[in-house]
Amino acid sequence: MITKIFLITVFSIGTIAFTGKGAAFAVSAEENYKFYCTQCHGSDGKGEGANSKPKVVGIDLPEMSVTPRNHTNPEDMNKLTDTDIESAISGGGAAVSKSTIMPPWGKTLTEAEIKDLTAYLRKLCKCKGK
Amino acid sequence: MNASNIGRWMLVLPVTALFIALSWGVSLADGKGIFASKNCGSCHQIQGPAAEKTFDDQLKKKGPELWYSGSKFKKEWLEEWLEKPTTIRPLKYNSVTDKNTDKHPALSKKEADEVAEYLMTLTAKEVAKGTAEEKVTPQGKNLFIKRYSCVGCHSIKAGAQKVGGVSGPDLSEAGKRLTADWVYAYLKEPKVFKPVKRMPVFVDIINDNEMKTLAGFVAAQK
Repeated sequence: MITKIFLITVFSIGTIAFTGKGAAFAVSAEENYKFYCTQCHGSDGKGEGANSKPKVVGIDLPEMSVTPRNHTNPEDMNKLTDTDIESAISGGGAAVSKSTIMPPWGKTLTEAEIKDLTAYLRKLCKCKGK
Repeated sequence: MNASNIGRWMLVLPVTALFIALSWGVSLADGKGIFASKNCGSCHQIQGPAAEKTFDDQLKKKGPELWYSGSKFKKEWLEEWLEKPTTIRPLKYNSVTDKNTDKHPALSKKEADEVAEYLMTLTAKEVAKGTAEEKVTPQGKNLFIKRYSCVGCHSIKAGAQKVGGVSGPDLSEAGKRLTADWVYAYLKEPKVFKPVKRMPVFVDIINDNEMKTLAGFVAAQK
């Protein structure tokens, strides 16, 4: 057991050191979600974060008309595979042929953190995806 | 130039230099003194480098760090803003939900000028001069709005109105306050300035030329 913990610790530290990104401290998917994702997706994941509100009516800026995905909607979230979600988080909307208003987080979060976030989204939608 | 003239200059020059040095020193000391007496340090970090390592470290901060003010801000804007503060962040510092209704303390004109002078002495070696040119270009606009959608979190002017997200600082008049060199350095080496922040890291996503174009576009918003 101790050996296992030791190996996991060494591997985690190695991963962080190697990639040079992600939080250099233990962060749960929920904490990452609260810190980063809630800006647009809202604290309850319904897509109603501070940046989601219509800004100025009548201005031709289609980018701002895109609403953040509701992570609690199982119908919507079921259309996505876990790989789709991971790609969207890592490469932003552009990586999955969606709006660039969803920025890329691949240089902010580690791959492991992105996988954890994907699992967290599955908890929010209570769905398994395609 | 005869010997008496040389003698006169030898006296005048050092006295002038001493006068300038003393005036600068006194003013600087005053600005620093005012900063301390007003307890500005209780919300603003003036000692670099950045020490935040965790979300909590960032979340317990009450206001933006100022240890690289002289590289980030334009002096005229600092002088004006410290006397008549306006809202830069639509949401409260560190909040993603609450509207920013905080009123930043205002200084008298004399105090504002002296504190601005002091803040301008706080610089970061990572901000080189002449890296990016303040310029609104179609490329810059395209990068800001379409390619990287900075507008999702930061507002800019669209005609007489503003458009954009609210979780990041308002950039509609960013060029009055920010230098293009700092915006470029911030994109290039974000961890130097803010190791823990809500904005994504764009290093190795936005290339160097695009960063310069973006920085120029942001610093030209007035």
